[in-house]
Amino acid sequence: MAINKNSNVYIIIYTVVMVVIVGTLLATLATWLKPTQDANVLNEQKVSIMKAFGEADANFDEVVTMGRITAGEFVAVEEAADVQAVFALLGNRKALGEATDELPIFKFEKDGVAKYVLPIVGKGLWGDIWGYVSLYVVDGKLTISGIVMDHAGETPGLGAEIASAGVQGSFADKVLYNEAGEFAVRMQKGGAQNEHQVDAITGGTKTCDGVNAMLETSISKYKSFLDTLTVAVAEDTTAEEQPAEEPVEEANVESVNVEEE
Amino acid sequence: MKLSKNFTNPLAANNPVIVQILGICSALAVTVKLEPALVMGLSVTFVTAFSNLIMSLLRNGLPSRIRIIVQLVVIATLVIVVDQFLRAYMYDVSKQLSVYVGLIITNCIVMGRVEAFALGNKPWDSFVDGVANGIGYALILVIVAFFRELFGSGTLFGFDVLARFGYTNNALMLFPPMALIIIGCIIWVHRSINKDLQEK
Repeated sequence: MAINKNSNVYIIIYTVVMVVIVGTLLATLATWLKPTQDANVLNEQKVSIMKAFGEADANFDEVVTMGRITAGEFVAVEEAADVQAVFALLGNRKALGEATDELPIFKFEKDGVAKYVLPIVGKGLWGDIWGYVSLYVVDGKLTISGIVMDHAGETPGLGAEIASAGVQGSFADKVLYNEAGEFAVRMQKGGAQNEHQVDAITGGTKTCDGVNAMLETSISKYKSFLDTLTVAVAEDTTAEEQPAEEPVEEANVESVNVEEE
Repeated sequence: MKLSKNFTNPLAANNPVIVQILGICSALAVTVKLEPALVMGLSVTFVTAFSNLIMSLLRNGLPSRIRIIVQLVVIATLVIVVDQFLRAYMYDVSKQLSVYVGLIITNCIVMGRVEAFALGNKPWDSFVDGVANGIGYALILVIVAFFRELFGSGTLFGFDVLARFGYTNNALMLFPPMALIIIGCIIWVHRSINKDLQEK
């Protein structure tokens, strides 16, 4: 008896078998490749953070201290599970944007200068924008040392320029807060006019507004911690820039020597 | 003899992009740089080759009423396989190609070859036809990307070529319309060589 290939029974069996085979194949493949794909995403996060520090060639795992800001305090993150949780949060832009506690932060010290990288998330014209900003204290003022930004779908050649090295480079050395203590870094239409402002992108005004909002909201969440930072650095400077880690006795001897001379 | 004609035909005389004008969407989108264009071309080649092979193997037991659905499932599966591998082993390129890998599913060349060739031919012939059509597509992508990257960014595969001669990059080359113009030029050259393609 010849099989009727257009009978309903044949078609239903055909589709069921097909779906089971395809489903099994794809599920196996996805499970098998998941670790490699996750490693790629993790590596990209680490590379972006190192770029924000301006140390693209350095190895993240060797030089960066990971931490979380809880109630204005820097709490180092060392447990493997916590590290994983931090990176998972960085990968989830919605949760990161809503987080108000245990905020991820990265610390990197070189030549006695500590830099901190904070993740930033916001909305551009067409979709999400995100990145990392690196801050440090210069002359008692919080200053941007570097920034890395990326976007989901800004207009190529216009808003999408926020992902270019040229635009990101113009954020370097901008001072975060003005004399009145207000957040003052912004992409200014018509060109930068003071030490806080950056040239906006012609034709990319809406994206630039998004960047301004992103910087202000994301960085403001860290305000209580950042305030302690400027105070601490100011104290360090008044204490004749003594490295904090040196034993107290030795420091005393040195200061006595200085007086004698 | 027939096999070799199967292979060479889609490369030039019956090229899917410049003669049949299929797959133009991705040709515009992924040809800013050579590397993603090449990867895209190879991905499409893989998909056309294996969708042709699989559908040709299935052609005798295939219920004609759900023919198109089965084709879509096979093609979509192959595309997901490509996408997953790119994400795992060519992460940067997969980010540049973004949604266009997934959109191979809608590339008319793939389904067109399955419908027009694989369902009526033996597996090996169909496989060769799929490979040839994929390469025919890849060829055009690479030619377009070559000009766009060379004159738009002054580089080839990311290496400085024109920049060292003091060339100023032409941003116009980076915009999608330029891909259409270059494809137009390729069609022009192609038709002036193959006179039988010219309409009377």
